[in-house]
Amino acid sequence: MILEMSNIKKHFEDCEVLHDISLNVDSGEVVSIIGPSGSGKSTLLRCATFLEKIDSGTIKYEGQTIAHTPDGEKPIYLPKKEMVKVKSYFGLVFQQFNLFPHFSVLRNVCDAPINVQKRNKEEVEEKGRELLAKMGLADKADAYPFQLSGGQQQRVAIARALALNPDILFFDEPTSALDPELTGEVLKIIRQLAEEKMTMVIVTHEMSFARAVSKRVIFMDGGYIVEQGDPEKVFGDPSEERTKQFLRNYQQ
Amino acid sequence: MSLLTMILKMAEGLSKTCAIFFLTLLFSLPLGMIVALLRMSKDKVVSSVTRFVISVLRGTPLMLQLLAVTYGPYYLFGISVSRNKLIPVVIAFSINYAAYFAEIYRGGIESMAKGQYEAAAVLGYTKTQTFLKIILPQVIKRIMPSITNEVVTLVKDTSLAFTVSYQEMFTIGKQIANSQTSFTPFVVAGVFYFVFNAIVDFGMGKIEKSMQYYK
Amino acid sequence: MKKLFTVLLAGVMVLSLAACGKTAESTNTFTMGIDPEYPPFSSLGDDGKYTGFDVEVCQAVCDKLGWEMKIFEVNWDEKLVQLDSNECDCVWSGMTILDSMKEAGYVISAPYYDNTQVLLVKSDSGIATSADLAGKDVAVQLGTSGEGLLNGDLSDMAATFNKVITCDSFLKCFTELDGGAVDAVFVDLPVAVSYAQEHDGFTVLEERFGDEQYGIAFRSGDEALCKQVEDAVKELVADGTYKKIAEKYPDIINNLIFLQ
Repeated sequence: MILEMSNIKKHFEDCEVLHDISLNVDSGEVVSIIGPSGSGKSTLLRCATFLEKIDSGTIKYEGQTIAHTPDGEKPIYLPKKEMVKVKSYFGLVFQQFNLFPHFSVLRNVCDAPINVQKRNKEEVEEKGRELLAKMGLADKADAYPFQLSGGQQQRVAIARALALNPDILFFDEPTSALDPELTGEVLKIIRQLAEEKMTMVIVTHEMSFARAVSKRVIFMDGGYIVEQGDPEKVFGDPSEERTKQFLRNYQQ
Repeated sequence: MSLLTMILKMAEGLSKTCAIFFLTLLFSLPLGMIVALLRMSKDKVVSSVTRFVISVLRGTPLMLQLLAVTYGPYYLFGISVSRNKLIPVVIAFSINYAAYFAEIYRGGIESMAKGQYEAAAVLGYTKTQTFLKIILPQVIKRIMPSITNEVVTLVKDTSLAFTVSYQEMFTIGKQIANSQTSFTPFVVAGVFYFVFNAIVDFGMGKIEKSMQYYK
Repeated sequence: MKKLFTVLLAGVMVLSLAACGKTAESTNTFTMGIDPEYPPFSSLGDDGKYTGFDVEVCQAVCDKLGWEMKIFEVNWDEKLVQLDSNECDCVWSGMTILDSMKEAGYVISAPYYDNTQVLLVKSDSGIATSADLAGKDVAVQLGTSGEGLLNGDLSDMAATFNKVITCDSFLKCFTELDGGAVDAVFVDLPVAVSYAQEHDGFTVLEERFGDEQYGIAFRSGDEALCKQVEDAVKELVADGTYKKIAEKYPDIINNLIFLQ
């Protein structure tokens, strides 16, 4: 099991965003999370990637406990030093790409492996160029983010996440900020990664894509996991009324 | 007195004007960053004390601060007035400009998108690395025009050093103007400041240009 | 009856206005340009009112001529520019008469005061003559005759000093001396004497420098105004008012030309 999140609770101010959510992801699994906005999907990803602190629950990567609340009080995270290593277990691709505008494309991809993971510069850059080639951006290594289209920027962001050799990759609505004609090139890359057995958790509004690429689909609403299972089952014959309603709205 | 003698005499003072200018930048630019970080501190006491100090420094004339730094220690504690006036002048200028720079830095830092911090956090950068490698270079690019403004103002503000009898270019100009009953030295001073600022403008423009490779 | 009195009063005022004829606009105010930091000639008193020998004499002159006196604080090193720009009608504030002023066309009154420059030092400094100041620092006020002397007639003496510091007020000169940043202040005799009397631990050196005189400066073309003021002063001297005022300022009374 690569990721085990159990009994995660999270609230902002007075608003309970995650009610006792549990999510396990197996190696090679592709999980899509769908649901209306405000359902807690993104917060769940942000908790898994430590951008938000959980109120209670347990997060484990590779069986190692990273955060837990043993006495039900404040969550205990691993000390900062060890978190650097933990962060190499996963990568996160943002809706808004969040590339570093002052770094060239290649440096965006290679800077963290070199300066955070302290890997050999030549090797990292060679790998970086390979990744960019795989993303169809071999000729953009020396360009700057502002010179790229949104779709190209998002592919750089994926390469940047992959450069750290993560065991699991999270996508937070990776195509929502893109013009419709550019979503295809990003989805193609994710599909390609799925074929290579990359473990991925994808928060998305692209229903047909989620249906096609994922092994498991989770439908979240109001901070709860309402339904999950095989995509054919969830999309084709959902058992919960709320799921049906959501999908119906989506098809209109 | 011939115009040439006048110019030469004032040019002698120009080295002192430059000393104020460069030393002030040397100290106030980093000091401003420290002040900005204190101002943004999560500790309420630290941030509000810093905020108060900044508002005093920005809310009172630099001329008064020069007098306070130069003569204050003597009147308050009996510490001798410094014979080398460059010391109190640079201290007063550095503190004053640090307050202005601090607010510029703070504006720049606070204008940075949250996503930059989050991307860096997920990639495993430490807080220091994030600040120095990711945030600061972008902030500097963003605040360059405001910094240039302050630097240009600093060139002109050096003339305030006359209030504590530091013999920089403008003080010498005033002396000549007075003894010769002539306005010419002020014209010369104006030309000096204009040329000085033209050079500053050119240099700052170069720096701004060097950061225009990205948006 | 009351009405008649008012009419008469108005008539008198009109007549006195016409008689004054100070300027083309014939306003009856007279604005005196002073350095408010130059006691005992002109200064801002503890009560916030201007005082000093020159201020009192000017007030007496205005009273005599039926003018309303106003005071304008000049920036000493720009006093003549401010005079030219009509911010004041005269500069009357222990002002040293310089040849350059006359050359520049300003109307200068007959001198009324003989001034002498001296060195003020700390009593415990062991400095007894100007020769002891070789290699030491001396302060002088920007725009004063003392500064002119050090740059001109006395430049040989100034060259023996380590440096001459010009301050923009006497207060700063004295603070520099008091605070130990300079070793002597080169200053007008009466100013030095009054400072040494009010503050312990200061000595005026015996040596006397320069021989300059104080006068009142008017704009070029204001000869008539100058004459009016000079005549009024003469009357004040004649009727004893001038002496009465001078007796309030013992530091300077011996140098007043009209009383000699």
